[in-house]
Amino acid sequence: MDVTVNRVLDAKGLACPMPIVKTKKEMTNLDPGKVMEIQATDKGSTADIKAWADSTGNQYLGTVEDGDTLKHYLRKATAEEEKPEKSHPHVVNLEDLQKEIEGNEKITILDVREPAEYAFGHIPGAVNIPLGELEKRFEELNKDDHLHIICRTGSRSDLAAQNLTEKGFQNIKNVVPGMKEWTGSVDKSH
Amino acid sequence: MKVAIIAANGGMFDAYKVFNIATAAAATDAEVGIFFTFEGLNLIHKEAHKNLPMPAGAEHFQEGFQKANVPPVHELVSMANEMGVKMIACQMTMDVMNLEKEHFIEGIDVGGAVTFLTFAKDADVTLTF
Repeated sequence: MDVTVNRVLDAKGLACPMPIVKTKKEMTNLDPGKVMEIQATDKGSTADIKAWADSTGNQYLGTVEDGDTLKHYLRKATAEEEKPEKSHPHVVNLEDLQKEIEGNEKITILDVREPAEYAFGHIPGAVNIPLGELEKRFEELNKDDHLHIICRTGSRSDLAAQNLTEKGFQNIKNVVPGMKEWTGSVDKSH
Repeated sequence: MKVAIIAANGGMFDAYKVFNIATAAAATDAEVGIFFTFEGLNLIHKEAHKNLPMPAGAEHFQEGFQKANVPPVHELVSMANEMGVKMIACQMTMDVMNLEKEHFIEGIDVGGAVTFLTFAKDADVTLTF
């Protein structure tokens, strides 16, 4: 699997607790919302990185094994993400989204998470344009489509929904909460 | 998270137990304090911490440490220092062993039992090594 990342940390050959200590250091320099790949050979690092992300409020995306190297993917949390405020007026919950997917009317799902998050699991058929690229790529979307925007928690997708409404899109719904609680089918290829 | 550790032993293995947990906790945004007492003072003694004894009969593990690329104790100590781990040397033991603050690495505090207890009273994790 090819994963797009903003930073790569080489922690190969290091023993516990060094992969964690280095991860902590590198994360400080990473911009919120960005994704980091940590390469390690310490077999305990998968459980450690996962636990570290849980404790520090960052997002653990997944691990890919590449020979003896473990590649862990982390996304740095942003402060706004945890805030519950949503302001796009039209929202749809996950249950209703599932019904609409199964229904007859054609809908388009726009996934505005980072490509690495998308790669580790998205709704089949969802289109991926990260929030940060929406400004220059929104023309790839059709203004007449029934657009359902999703992210992890409903916060980035809310910003995307507001942004596209300003650009004249009419049929936009923000999916809440988002992939974090999605239990429907997931596509892990891309 | 707040982690309070008592380091009361002065061997090589003890150093790793104490400083691995301490640096991992500090890297996980925990507030960490270590109280060094009795032989534990070796772990922050300027000279002693660079040449800690292996437990009797375990000398052959020395090779294992190198093979696993485990950082030397003095590196873990300075890392802990950099990450803001609070290190307290026990005044009473220092008096017994005739040690002064300048015998220890930079950045440590000297305190008594109550100094540690005050730090540890609302800790989430308390460990003794």
